[in-house]
Amino acid sequence: MTLANVFVKTAADRWLGWAIAAVSVALFLLFGMSAYREIDLSVYTSLPEAFRSLIGISDDIDVGGLAISIMLSTWGALALAGVALAMGSSAIAGEERDGTMDILLANPKSRTYVLLSKTGALVTSVALATFALWIPVHPIAAMLGVEIAGLDVEALMLHLFANSLLYGMLALAIGAITGNKGTATGATTAILVLSFFGVGFLPLVEGGEAVSKLLPWYYFDGSDPVNNGVAWGHLALLGGGSLLLLLAAAVGFNRRDLKSQSVGTTMLDRFRGNPLLNKMIGRLAGSARVSSIWLKTISDYQTLVLITAAVMFLVQGVMMGPMYASIPQETLATFDQLPEQLIALFGGGDMSTPEGWYSLETFGFMAPGAVILVTAVMGAGALAGEESRRTMALLLACPISRYRIVLEKVIPILLFAILVGFVTFAGVSVGSIIADLGMSISNIAATAALQTLVGLVFGSLALALSAATGRTSIAIYGAIGAALFFHLFNSLGALNQALADLAWLTPFSYYLGNDPLNNGMDWIDAAVLAALSTILIVLSFVLFQRRDIRQRG
Amino acid sequence: MSTSLDSEARSAIHTVGLTKYYGRHLGIEDVDLDVREGEVFGFLGPNGAGKSTTIRTILDEIRPTAGNATILGFDTHADAVEIRRHIGYIPGDLALYPNLTGMDTLQYFGNMRGGVDWAYVDELADRLDSDLSRKVGDLSTGNRQKVGVIQAFMHRPDLLIMDEPTAGLDPLIQREFQKMVAEVAAEGRTVFLSSHTLSEVQRVADRVGIIRNGRLITVESVADLRSKSMREVEFVLNTQADASIFERVEGVRNVVVAGNHVEMSFGGDMGELLTAVTEQYSVADIKTTEADLEEIFLTYYHEDDEREEQP
Repeated sequence: MTLANVFVKTAADRWLGWAIAAVSVALFLLFGMSAYREIDLSVYTSLPEAFRSLIGISDDIDVGGLAISIMLSTWGALALAGVALAMGSSAIAGEERDGTMDILLANPKSRTYVLLSKTGALVTSVALATFALWIPVHPIAAMLGVEIAGLDVEALMLHLFANSLLYGMLALAIGAITGNKGTATGATTAILVLSFFGVGFLPLVEGGEAVSKLLPWYYFDGSDPVNNGVAWGHLALLGGGSLLLLLAAAVGFNRRDLKSQSVGTTMLDRFRGNPLLNKMIGRLAGSARVSSIWLKTISDYQTLVLITAAVMFLVQGVMMGPMYASIPQETLATFDQLPEQLIALFGGGDMSTPEGWYSLETFGFMAPGAVILVTAVMGAGALAGEESRRTMALLLACPISRYRIVLEKVIPILLFAILVGFVTFAGVSVGSIIADLGMSISNIAATAALQTLVGLVFGSLALALSAATGRTSIAIYGAIGAALFFHLFNSLGALNQALADLAWLTPFSYYLGNDPLNNGMDWIDAAVLAALSTILIVLSFVLFQRRDIRQRG
Repeated sequence: MSTSLDSEARSAIHTVGLTKYYGRHLGIEDVDLDVREGEVFGFLGPNGAGKSTTIRTILDEIRPTAGNATILGFDTHADAVEIRRHIGYIPGDLALYPNLTGMDTLQYFGNMRGGVDWAYVDELADRLDSDLSRKVGDLSTGNRQKVGVIQAFMHRPDLLIMDEPTAGLDPLIQREFQKMVAEVAAEGRTVFLSSHTLSEVQRVADRVGIIRNGRLITVESVADLRSKSMREVEFVLNTQADASIFERVEGVRNVVVAGNHVEMSFGGDMGELLTAVTEQYSVADIKTTEADLEEIFLTYYHEDDEREEQP
């Protein structure tokens, strides 16, 4: 096992994720710039500072800057940080979970060596991905005739690189210290999401700006590198953070016992560990989770859905109410004057009303995102997951048809989508009540129902891809990539007439298109979304029936 | 759990011209197999010969490019679910759910069959010395394999299809496993056992099919294979021996004479050899080492190679 091997293999394992992230963002950029080209620039001159801060628009706005700022600072940065995170958490903890770390370390190489190889692969991959993102920026701008000469795209790219690397290193360090991939992914995602939103939200409230400097995301674009050039101090902080994390990873990884092919410990397992509870649990739940495929599937994804539901309920639901109430009135008043098309761009987020606030902060991106995350992961895991873990062979040796297997996998996906939608509804309702926002509970319910339905479309897409190909990576990246693409398509439709005419093509236009938080349920929208999911699910049954089962992952 | 269909004799597994290509890559070609009910059929071949492809095709995991197959008289595709009521299966390279205990795993698959006889499961676990309370992910390969074996046997299937089932099992447990296979056959049930471990098949199988490069080379009874094959024969005579006496008998090779002691390789009719020897000598002792399938195996492969080399 040479350096080249550990290093190259680690980098190559993730190429599909990186490629999809880079290609999607480049596509977004093309779409985005062509849409922004049409914008009447006078729209932006009246933008309040606070709003610009929230959406990351610079002070002296122009089309190129706006497009790049939205495309790269938001989508590009989140996509790259997300893939870096996935790679970081797999680096050490993932190999332990797969049981391959033992073999790796049976070679005459130290743990530090393995860690450094993995880090090298991460750094290289992030750098390549950043480079891949940079390549199309100038050609696309030139092609569309958008002026970006005054912008320091390269400075932004450098910040983007350092920022993505930090989240990758955070995940790698947590994985190296704990040996638990789930912990690494979960904790890093939480920090990523909270710091991204924190940097957007905190400047809106008094004294919040200072607090936002505690969040790592601040050092990504807090200095507005695309207009102001590289902020070396900020870069040094991000880079120093990555180095410290590497150090912590080296110390932690060298000190602990290696985990053998590890087995996740669920809440149920902890209860079972207690001799008093064991008997009772065994009777209540122990046999229940293995009583059928659908109950086992529910049990398998309990952690994912519990965390997602908790975040949606507490952070995206309940907390958003008091947060809205804490924004000064005068700030809110300025939002009232925003041009309609700009409001539409951010998911109907007219922040002068609580409905607009919740549309922007909760329902615009996170709420459908949560349903999509849960259902796409389950949809991908449902069939392709059993194949890649090679357990499908035994399942298919039982006297049940392939149709039945798909059906029993579809049921938990539907139930969990409804659950996430319901907790979002409950959280937003509670948030509205405790902050006394006076939102219509039935409209919240309608929005949450549409949220569930739009999420299910992409969950069903993951299932269909999973049924058709038997490959989890295609299913999950395909579904999430499609969701991001259509979400952007839908957002840009507000700005570009050509895209607006095609808006009926994107599932998201049937979600917030008719502003359900203000107008209540639109049954036609609901029916369209339900029909889309139904078609994809039916397709899954047919495709899985026809195909050879894969023997290896 | 045995269900009787037609009373007339039927094949447990019957394939006609079964062919599977993965794209342009050959899996198996023109496999005609007939496994009779109640027999133990050994399916032999080296790694990558097409054993698993054959099994996965008849279990409807993958679909044949050409040909068709029946199991217990049912079409392997159209009646796949009905077939699965009657079979027990251990896939090659067995994988189980790591977060379930052995008992959870058996309950999971047991439930899908509408319940099983738990007293029998306990008995099987006991015989294989399997701890069902531990999580599968924490078990060693052999102990995980035991859970797979119990899973295949627990509902007393009419047909057991096992793809290299003894992988990772220690010799003691392997012996117990062979006993279990013999018992299944004694009850009139059928066992289809793929393996590259010749000694294992030799011990339990009635007939053997040999597959190589995706083609079924031969199907013969273990007894026939043995009688045809080379063995080492050693005579101790009362007088000085003459090599030519032995060399005249058909099937004798490599004669080595040392005084009244003769050793040779022999692959012919034993009666003929004995007659030839006793006509000339009085025999003090005979020793013969039983033919090993290993040699037969190699012989068949060798012949096949020679055939392939010809244009």
